[in-house]
Amino acid sequence: MRYSDILIMPYENNLERNSVLSASVAKDRIITKFPQVNPLPLYNSIRTLYFSYRLKICKAVLVGDVAVGKSCLVNRFCHDVFNRDYKATIGVDFEVEKFSILSIPFNLQIWDTAGQERFKCIAASYYRGSNVVIVVFDMSDISSLTGVTQWKEDACQNASDPLVFLVGTKKDLLTDTSYGTVEKEAIAIAHEINAEFWAVSSKTGENVKEFFFRVVALTFDDAIQREAESMKTRAKQIGNDFIRIERKQDLYDKKESGFSKCC
Amino acid sequence: MEVVYPGHVKLTDKEKTNICYLSFPDSNSGCMGDTQFHFRIRRCPGRRSVVQAHTDYNKDCPAALQSVVLLSKLPFVTLYNYIVSVIAPEYFDNGEPCLEAACHDIDQWPDPCPGETLNLPIMGTVVQVRLPSRSDKVLTSPQIKNPSVPTMPANNILPSVSEVDVYSAFLPVLPHIQMLWELVLIGEPLVVMANSPTICSGTVQALVSTIWPFKYCMDFRPYFTIHDSEFREYTTKTQAPPAVILGVTNPFFAKTLQHWPHVLRIGELAVSSPKTINKLKKVGTIKTLDSKPGYPDKEASGGSECNALKRYLLELTQSFMIPLERYVASLMPLQRNISPHKGPPRLKSFDTEAFLKTIEHSGPQLTSGLKGDWIALYRRFFRSGNFEGWLRFRQEEVNQKLQALHLEVLCQADLLTWIQDKQEVEIVDLILRLREKLAKINENQLPVSNDMLSRLQHHHDMIVCSLPEDLQSVLKSNHGN
Repeated sequence: MRYSDILIMPYENNLERNSVLSASVAKDRIITKFPQVNPLPLYNSIRTLYFSYRLKICKAVLVGDVAVGKSCLVNRFCHDVFNRDYKATIGVDFEVEKFSILSIPFNLQIWDTAGQERFKCIAASYYRGSNVVIVVFDMSDISSLTGVTQWKEDACQNASDPLVFLVGTKKDLLTDTSYGTVEKEAIAIAHEINAEFWAVSSKTGENVKEFFFRVVALTFDDAIQREAESMKTRAKQIGNDFIRIERKQDLYDKKESGFSKCC
Repeated sequence: MEVVYPGHVKLTDKEKTNICYLSFPDSNSGCMGDTQFHFRIRRCPGRRSVVQAHTDYNKDCPAALQSVVLLSKLPFVTLYNYIVSVIAPEYFDNGEPCLEAACHDIDQWPDPCPGETLNLPIMGTVVQVRLPSRSDKVLTSPQIKNPSVPTMPANNILPSVSEVDVYSAFLPVLPHIQMLWELVLIGEPLVVMANSPTICSGTVQALVSTIWPFKYCMDFRPYFTIHDSEFREYTTKTQAPPAVILGVTNPFFAKTLQHWPHVLRIGELAVSSPKTINKLKKVGTIKTLDSKPGYPDKEASGGSECNALKRYLLELTQSFMIPLERYVASLMPLQRNISPHKGPPRLKSFDTEAFLKTIEHSGPQLTSGLKGDWIALYRRFFRSGNFEGWLRFRQEEVNQKLQALHLEVLCQADLLTWIQDKQEVEIVDLILRLREKLAKINENQLPVSNDMLSRLQHHHDMIVCSLPEDLQSVLKSNHGN
């Protein structure tokens, strides 16, 4: 549904050879297609960043009510399994997924938090420094949508301007008509919290991989832009006026259109 | 003790008492605010293994003195200190769920594997550490950590799991550093008196690290209190002081341990004189090397002070170690003495007098500018647990290597030709030796490739088949048992 804006990027072999990590990246974690933005200058700046080892870590947290299926979503993506028995998460589960984006190694930390009330008090330390906030709700239980705004606010409070996603789970349990109703409400809330809405099923695997790839691609893009911003500031501090900053600016101004766009 | 996580961990009452006493100040002397340190305790049920604990206590309000203790058998002092510094404030603010979550994080840590770089999630961040490996120790060229490029971006990169900042720890006693190195090397009883558990535990840890790559093989207690269950054992006056290093804060120890030969006072102790005193009390001189050169400040220009000090200590230790290693190498049997028809050769025994003879012409004086009585230092070292521990480790290592070499020879030998003119007794003897090898391989005591294993098994089967049938059945039934 949102592949229209995905571009095929040139695949550079010399990058691959220099990469320590890409060797250990699973074949199905290689991203060669990339959404949005003017590709070539972006790619050049990625190269620069890659060679200076300046890529930042990317931290994603999953939040949402008890038993909406946060852990199931992560387990489907990371281990391609689905367990129908419910097991409450203690504290936080942690995963690292390695990707190769345009043949550049990139790691996504996934922090799958517990929905239980008793772990609320420690949540702040787990949210700290998140780049991505994934708010999860159960589409078969519309009441789990009511807490979404609060979850988003709590999580974003301790993060620095993260990308936000709203994920509705258990899509397989819904009929087409009931899905239509839920989707409408979910999109409205997604707009409110400035998030991108995704409907997935961890049981069937529908949209799970697509969702996480979207997360990774956007986060990568975001990380590059932030890095470019900070390089700009650094260049300014040194007082090097030979670097034309304006040129980059209009390139990244398009960023906003990249997400917060719903189906 | 309020809570213990994880719940299935059983501590004996004695262990609990020790932990409780060790987690709090032993005296009223100047501990203000949060204090962090580590200690070691003996594990109870006969097992002498020692547990490291890392404590962070919150002393904002004396009525609510709280402490978080992390227990581990692994000596990763730096890592655990960091972990405790992350967990403790969360616990003081948010209580038990924080410990539950932290334990759950730790449950997800990968197994420690030497030489690997691990990413360890804890309380929302990832700590990256590289575990040290045996192959890190390079004897000929002292290598001090190059800040290498991290393979994966991480929030917190700890340069080492166990290395302590020797420079800050020894800053007050730098002029005595070489003497301290000697005392640690020869396993002398040594007590560090400081006014806070943080300082005494840091100093004790730094002391035992001075003789790296030697392992300090005796007991050491970075923080020791009058309530410790080994208090009597270690402070008795009826016997000579034990070969241990203790870190203490309670001024009471000044009296209890006054018969100890070496006392290192760091910083100002409560009650005593107002001036800062850093002195090493020595009863009976054991000085063997001229300590005049001391710590060469000029060398500090090469890098940071801490690295210069580490390099200095490493060079000192290596100067001492190289002759020992060289002598051990001379004890190796010759390659041509490894025969498939005999048992594996073993390392010849270490003859201290023969070793000391080699010192005259190729001793540490070659690599170290230090003059002094090296021989006397070696003699003291031979009597220490450090020598015993080092030698046992080297012997095991060499003997294992010899076993592997012997195995290789055995695999390549044409045993079937050899047995043609041999007596049955000799052949059976060979079979039993082969079986012993196979058993050892199966117990993972020998590092062998699968190819070698199958060849060895093949040899064994062929030789058994060459024997008369009645003997074969005896051997087979015997093998079954």
